Amino acid sequence: MAKKKIMLRDICYYRSGDKGDISNIGLMAKNEKAYEIIKREVTPERIKAHFKDWVKGDVIIYPMDNLQSLEIMLYEGLGGGATKTLRIDQTGKAMGNALSRMEIEVDESEL
Amino acid sequence: MKKVRVGAGSSGWPDYKDGALDVAKNGDIDYISFDHLAELTMAILQNQYAKDQTRGYIPEVIPLMRGLLPIWKEKDKHFKMCNNGGGANPPVCADEVLKLSQELNLGGIKIGVITGDTIPLSRVDELRKEGWKFKNADTGEEDIDRVRDKLLAAYAYTGADEIIEAYEQDANLVIGGRLSDNSLYCGNFMYPLGWKFTDEYWDRIGSAVCVGHLLECSSWSAGTCSNLWEEIDYPQGNPGFPIAEMDENGDCIVTKTKTSGGAIRVQTLKEHLVYEVHDPENYIMPDGIADLTQIKLEQVGKDEVKVTRLGDKPRGKPRPENLKFCLAYNDGYIAEEITIICGPKVFQQAEKAHEFVKRRIEYLGLKPREMLWSLIGWDSLCGPTVGPPPPDYDPPELGIRIAFKCDTQQEAQACRTECGHLCWASLGVGAGFTQPPRIRPVFALWPTLIPREAVPLELEIKEVK
Repeated sequence: MAKKKIMLRDICYYRSGDKGDISNIGLMAKNEKAYEIIKREVTPERIKAHFKDWVKGDVIIYPMDNLQSLEIMLYEGLGGGATKTLRIDQTGKAMGNALSRMEIEVDESEL
Repeated sequence: MKKVRVGAGSSGWPDYKDGALDVAKNGDIDYISFDHLAELTMAILQNQYAKDQTRGYIPEVIPLMRGLLPIWKEKDKHFKMCNNGGGANPPVCADEVLKLSQELNLGGIKIGVITGDTIPLSRVDELRKEGWKFKNADTGEEDIDRVRDKLLAAYAYTGADEIIEAYEQDANLVIGGRLSDNSLYCGNFMYPLGWKFTDEYWDRIGSAVCVGHLLECSSWSAGTCSNLWEEIDYPQGNPGFPIAEMDENGDCIVTKTKTSGGAIRVQTLKEHLVYEVHDPENYIMPDGIADLTQIKLEQVGKDEVKVTRLGDKPRGKPRPENLKFCLAYNDGYIAEEITIICGPKVFQQAEKAHEFVKRRIEYLGLKPREMLWSLIGWDSLCGPTVGPPPPDYDPPELGIRIAFKCDTQQEAQACRTECGHLCWASLGVGAGFTQPPRIRPVFALWPTLIPREAVPLELEIKEVK
């Protein structure tokens, strides 16, 4: 089967925000197939590797089957949190965009 | 079946003022909720109040009410309103609205004023002596010893009880302090539908918490900040604010006025349902714990989405015993500076300037606690997920942003002027620089819990007859 590299943004929508130093990303699959793919491919380990030193703590993922979405929490992910961080994006609104750059490999037949 | 229409009026400071006016005028609403506070706002307002006891509330409440109250009168004073714009000083905010009502000849208004969410630091100490520990909800640190001497302000996020009580006493408008954003909506659903904080109602309160969450960021569920931005339009430049028509079973339709722009779609609501939620099975708010995995969204018309229960499982659980409590403390100063590099070879120039700044900090003996170097136009938002630029990429210009965190204001000033600002001259022949923002103090937050009974909330009715 032919493999293909895609970015999460090809099959997902996203919105992100903050609570303290926790970045919170809602990753919404565009359809059912995409939801199956992200449930399998988007793991805490891969997310940590993607964000490198911008996420210092744990990554926790909660599936939301009703919305075909993943609720993703990045602990120590905002450089100290909105009021303390030196980043321009103090409240992590663009962290969803940043996650959507992550590349995954899928079978072409899955798309 | 009994139904109530609740509109969103504001989601922060500031928000589109015309959004609230449109909802009031064209939304056929029974209730409207205004959230004016972000996480940090209370600390700023408490600071203002400490210096001047006529301040400490959100000043925008007054111009907003100046636009809104004449509409309220025109609608025979039908709809009720609640806000948290009182901030650290709800009584003075209420007095100002009463003055305004006289100026506008409204012929009588009753305002419920809620106070007590601000907790004096002496009371924080007493609670600790009684054995309560203010464990940091984010970091797990057991108590506030490390920051006690730096504390500036403390406030509890309070629930809908006093909003409901104010309506029972015929208040037209409720002004509170740190009423939780969500409770401004729960109160507006629970009072007219007669829901109580008892076992029979947790499923429906769960729905109220969920729909409150959908509405509390106003235009955000009606198409702003949306992945669908290319399809969503604002023909007159006026984003719509959402309105929820909730029935007595806790099922609801979210819609907006026909006079506003934006859109209500399953996707625009989904985007907000996943926003800042954390564990979706336990979305904890002062009035109940919602299970957002039990919610079904369905498009039933243009700009109409039905929000119902997915299956047999309840949408809510009993409200938590403790309230969210935030302690704000001083944690140094931040200085920042933006310089725009003009091409050619923008990335090479940036690298050289970075080296220059690092050397100069050392040369001058400055000791910023933290420093962040980022390139606007490359990695300032997405950070290390972007990687290095490809070797042949040379855009016409590139921004450098340098930010420092220092223990003192003087040190922050020195970092900005000596290193941040003067870095431009180390660049190639031409560069643009901006007026840097003022050095800002860091108000750090210590999120924790406080027992409900330790927050002495009070309701007072003020009126002009």
